[in-house]
Amino acid sequence: MSERRVVEFAATIESIDVVQAEFDAWWTSLDDPKLEKRFALEIAVVEIATNIVEHTHRAEGSTGRRYELTLDADEVAYTAVFSDNGMPVDIDLSTVTMADVEDENGRGLALAIAALDSLDYRRAEGRNIWTLVCKR
Amino acid sequence: MTSIDVREADGGVVLAPSGRLTVVTAPQLRAAVAERIFAGDRIIVVDLSTTEFVDSSGLGALVSCLKSARQAGGDLRIVAPTDQVAMVLRMTNLDRILQPRASVDDALRG
Repeated sequence: MSERRVVEFAATIESIDVVQAEFDAWWTSLDDPKLEKRFALEIAVVEIATNIVEHTHRAEGSTGRRYELTLDADEVAYTAVFSDNGMPVDIDLSTVTMADVEDENGRGLALAIAALDSLDYRRAEGRNIWTLVCKR
Repeated sequence: MTSIDVREADGGVVLAPSGRLTVVTAPQLRAAVAERIFAGDRIIVVDLSTTEFVDSSGLGALVSCLKSARQAGGDLRIVAPTDQVAMVLRMTNLDRILQPRASVDDALRG
């Protein structure tokens, strides 16, 4: 079984709503989805999408950039892959820690890492590739 | 899309954001709470019973609003988080400073 969905978005804050609508449509099409797995993957998808949009705006301003999301499910795992051709991301995911409770920012990547079985970032062929995996 | 229902209550004000509380909509909550504190309310109750989803930006808004309420001499209390919201509160340890109340009445009473 493989249930794949590929969608592209303008890199705007408002796109996060569209990402969630696409995620919802994909998830509800799956066989036997588990709610706790949805919670885990959806929070990570939203956090990484937000990170991509905010990174794009910080690095380049409003450039009309786009990003792509591929959602896939097989017998082993649910996988989401983000791809964009923006500036490289300077991040070491092994150093990410959860923000203190009094902090207003700095929880996004830590939440994604905590929710997923694996989160990987790499740069390939001029693109940023984020791979999010949540085992079934 | 999120809408925020605001109603006066005996002892405070109750704000109920429905739908998703994310980077898209968190500014609405910050603005609504700031407006109520400016208007003189001190006990801010955020009813999360119809908030389907919260992300780190929504959590950041709750922390910011809590600080604002306390700086004004009041408090912010959350009520009845849905399963997803309760999960991210636990994952971020924010349930320590935003301890959910079971009902709006409990929150208003303190």
